[in-house]
Amino acid sequence: MSRARLSAENLPTSVRVVLVVLGLGVLLAVPDLARVTPLSFATIHKGLLFGLAAVGLNLLLRHTELVSFGHVAFFGTGAYGAAVLATYYEVSSGLVLLAGAVLAATAVALVVGYLVAGHLDIYFALLTLAFNQVLFAFVVQSSFFNSTDGLSVRVGVDRPSLLGLDQLLVSAGLDPVQAYNYVLYYLTVAILVVVVLVTWKLVNSPFGRALDAIGQDRTRARFIGIPVERYVWIAFTISGIYGGIAGGLFALLQLHVRPEPVLFAFVSGEILFMAILGGVGTLVGPIVGGVILVYLLDLARFYVTYYHALTGIVLLAVVYFLPEGILGSLPALGAAIERRRRDPGLVRNDVETVVTSVRRSVRRAVTTVRILVFGVN
Amino acid sequence: MTGRPSSSNDTGGIERRDALKLVGGSTLAVALAGCTALIGDESDDSTEDADVPDEPIEAGLQTFTEGAPAVLGLQAQYGAETAVRRINDDGGVAGREIDLDVVNEGDEHIQNYRQFVDEGKDVTFGPISSGGHEAMVPEIEDRGVVNVATDGTVTTLYEESFPDATYSFRFQNHDVMEALAAVNQAVEVLGADSIDTYAGINPNYAFGQDEMALFSSGIEKLTGAEEVYSGFPELGADDMSAHVTEVNGTEPDVVFSSCWGGDATLLLEQAHANGMFDSTDLLVGPVLYGSANDLSADLVDGPIYSGSRNFYWDEPGTDRWTPAADLVSEVQSEYDVVPTAHFMSGYGAVTAWATAAEKAVDVLGRWPEQDEIAAILEGHGFFTPAGYHTIGADHQGYSNAHFGELAWSDEYDAAILENVSVFAPKDVSPPPGTVSGDWIDAW
Amino acid sequence: MFESLPYHALNGVYYGFILFMIAAGLTIVFGVLGVLNLAHGELYAFGAFVAFSIVGYLTGLVAEPTGPVTALIFGAVVLVGSLAAAAVLLPVGATLEAAFVRPIYDRDDVYQLLLTYALLLILTDVMKFVWGAKPLDVGVYDGLNAIPTTELFGIDYPTYNVVVVAVGLVVFGWLVWFFDRTKTGRIVRATAIDREMATAIGVSTDRIFTLVFAMGAFFAGFGGAMVSIGPGSAYLEMGLSPLVLSFVVIVIGGLGSLRGALVGALLVGVTTQVVTPYYSELELAVPFVLMVVVLLVRPEGLYGTWGEIE
Repeated sequence: MSRARLSAENLPTSVRVVLVVLGLGVLLAVPDLARVTPLSFATIHKGLLFGLAAVGLNLLLRHTELVSFGHVAFFGTGAYGAAVLATYYEVSSGLVLLAGAVLAATAVALVVGYLVAGHLDIYFALLTLAFNQVLFAFVVQSSFFNSTDGLSVRVGVDRPSLLGLDQLLVSAGLDPVQAYNYVLYYLTVAILVVVVLVTWKLVNSPFGRALDAIGQDRTRARFIGIPVERYVWIAFTISGIYGGIAGGLFALLQLHVRPEPVLFAFVSGEILFMAILGGVGTLVGPIVGGVILVYLLDLARFYVTYYHALTGIVLLAVVYFLPEGILGSLPALGAAIERRRRDPGLVRNDVETVVTSVRRSVRRAVTTVRILVFGVN
Repeated sequence: MTGRPSSSNDTGGIERRDALKLVGGSTLAVALAGCTALIGDESDDSTEDADVPDEPIEAGLQTFTEGAPAVLGLQAQYGAETAVRRINDDGGVAGREIDLDVVNEGDEHIQNYRQFVDEGKDVTFGPISSGGHEAMVPEIEDRGVVNVATDGTVTTLYEESFPDATYSFRFQNHDVMEALAAVNQAVEVLGADSIDTYAGINPNYAFGQDEMALFSSGIEKLTGAEEVYSGFPELGADDMSAHVTEVNGTEPDVVFSSCWGGDATLLLEQAHANGMFDSTDLLVGPVLYGSANDLSADLVDGPIYSGSRNFYWDEPGTDRWTPAADLVSEVQSEYDVVPTAHFMSGYGAVTAWATAAEKAVDVLGRWPEQDEIAAILEGHGFFTPAGYHTIGADHQGYSNAHFGELAWSDEYDAAILENVSVFAPKDVSPPPGTVSGDWIDAW
Repeated sequence: MFESLPYHALNGVYYGFILFMIAAGLTIVFGVLGVLNLAHGELYAFGAFVAFSIVGYLTGLVAEPTGPVTALIFGAVVLVGSLAAAAVLLPVGATLEAAFVRPIYDRDDVYQLLLTYALLLILTDVMKFVWGAKPLDVGVYDGLNAIPTTELFGIDYPTYNVVVVAVGLVVFGWLVWFFDRTKTGRIVRATAIDREMATAIGVSTDRIFTLVFAMGAFFAGFGGAMVSIGPGSAYLEMGLSPLVLSFVVIVIGGLGSLRGALVGALLVGVTTQVVTPYYSELELAVPFVLMVVVLLVRPEGLYGTWGEIE
């Protein structure tokens, strides 16, 4: 994984500044973009939240090389933390709900993290999956959490309040639902920026370097005096907290929480794939991956009949043609496009390469089947 | 109040004369009642001069279009499409045709509704899922685009959770009606004195728990029977033998099961294979018939009675009631299935909205706003080939409930119901403003 | 309260063998290729759908059983049909491996996960395209149960369950024989233990990997076929929970271990079925609690041998 890992960081500073400003600009303009285009504001918002959870997962994946297959557990705990406060304790302050979400997720992440920190590879992955499913089964079977029907994040039918900012917009003449969603969106953007900055600080701190060392070789890390299990535990908890924040915000966005979309183990897989899709080796790639995958999973069915296949084909394309993920492959892609602009003849080579590789794949498949059916080549 | 309804065929059915009189308001209402052939084109349309935009009505339906729950979901889609087809053939709602978008509801009910609203839909229909419906109601109230739910029938929804809804409606009968119809059917078949014990196998989520709770309190009130087993297999279970074995071990007089779709087929298969019908006298299930097109002659054999919610296609009989006969032949040629109650869920939801919208145009002389259509839908009455339906002030649809003995028809290559009992809404649901649980307790 | 316990245990054994057939394929593929195949559940569903078509066609040719003899013939036809359905998965699996999986063996594990997830999504829609969106039931369960088995001993128990247990035992026996006694099986094991060494002594790892992936697909498909001819139906999302449960089974048993997969499957099957009627709120949680306990106490599983088929 370390091969071309820091590809995005290799860009010149000026380009990076431009990209950051551009990214922030796009983020801030999403509500307006959604108004003038058929883009779905709510879906992008949801995508950003899952992306935020994927940033947390990527902290483990990129630095400690641990694949978590149970990350939605923290997202779901966060979402349910907020929902329980609203449903049973009639908490209407959005910030308190969010705090509840973070608290709940932190507690669960501390416990799970403690138990899994000593495990590696596939065992780590499957152990996190198991804890995820235990939690899912527990919520689904519990009448306190209202089984599969889930809990509302409203007090009565009222939306939570967001520091009174939404009321301010309403008094300025905005529709209350719109006001709520705008305020919540900009709250999400603000939190996202903070989280990304914190993560950036973190991975460039001695602690982050220690995580890298743990990822490369645990034994060596232990030799040089890094308390491996404790550091993994801390990293795991931090990444769980990200999930909890995202889940809490998701509860505020969705205003109703059900177990399958926020706790089922397969959604953990989706969060993992968001990180890979966007680029494991990048800081904000998982956010891009989150928006794209959520958009595909949620909205493709509005436009095509075979929407699973469409999503699958996009992912295949990423696996084969963007080996560092979307954001991670941007520098290479940019360079390649630049070269082709100077020498358009290269494009023909590209087509040839693609055609050859497809043809080779087909030939391999045909040969294999022939051997299988006739016993000879 | 005894709660014992009469179950003769004519109290609930509709008289043809009444139908003509009541339906003859507009050609649209007539077309949707399936009575065009009976009346001809003589009724005049008062909405012709109204000030109505030309562009088609954008409508969205979310339902289960694939996988195990598609057994019910596709029927709802067929129903909604059939109603839309009839509306457009008739010239539309006050001259506006309907464009219907159908999307798989999945687990994303709120997102689906939001997306529909963002796309500028004038009305939305669906979903099938109870939990999904419950999650959607506050969102619908926030966004203010009328949604007529096809199903999602948990009783507490409009009775307790959202008694003051404005834009959210439900067409299909709610759970209490079919659970009590099941109670009455069991008493009718076995006699109250011979029911001493009962058991339940119900899907493990709000719908299954709601149905079982209502059935339990109903049958205990009427017969004093005692519950000997209650199991809740997962929705979409792979195996129910554990529950069937427990029923065999406890030998209840009646088994109640609100399993539906693939779960219903699985339950019947394993019940037969494990000799459950040697251990119990009767199986009653409110939605077993929803799988009518997926059952077989072997499976329906035995003392099995099923509900069919607010529509059974052969009640009133297709030989006596041409709207039903026309509908069945249309559905068979178009989709190659017999319509089940979920077909009517889709058909009726669209019909409820379309007739209300046209009534609104009639009254206002222009296209109505969302809150105006919503106001008209409260207390709105209309016909479909299933008979007369009303939407109560509680936003809940009320129609006759059907129950009958499962049997097989080679002619249709599908399950049918025999000796169908029809229960009028007032006999199986509480009076307005009363909570079902309290109502049953007061029997 | 507990008088039905033996029946529940029997049901658990039957359920365990279904799980075993699915998990066996997964554990072989993981043991040899090191790829956790998320599309395994879809191959299982694929087998169920193919069985719907093939078994449906074949049983259309023979009469419904009327007596013990015709019932036996009917049962044989159904089993042959199920085998044929699973056989269809051989070229399907081989093609998937050769065309999609082979190019990315040296990539990071997570890309293999992403790839098999993409295959999962695509396969779902292939099935939706071929067989439609609704569940399909081939409807031979009743005919199978007409074969007298347990009735001969005075017990009333579905013949289908007995057939599943018998077939599962045969599958297990065959796999053990294959990996222990045949030359190909030993080569596969050698490749699993040390790829480079196997290549050095002249084994074509490409061939072996294709073979193993095809075998995995075959057993997934066979499991699907066995479910399809039972009380359940074939439906699009049927692969999801067996896939997740297969993880549990192979983790409990020890990754790559066949004996472990069998013991794990039976453990999960019996525990689930015995607990369900008495504490139905635990039904979903039982397998995962088992898995957590095993992983925390014995991380390598009950019969754990990392990366080897045993």
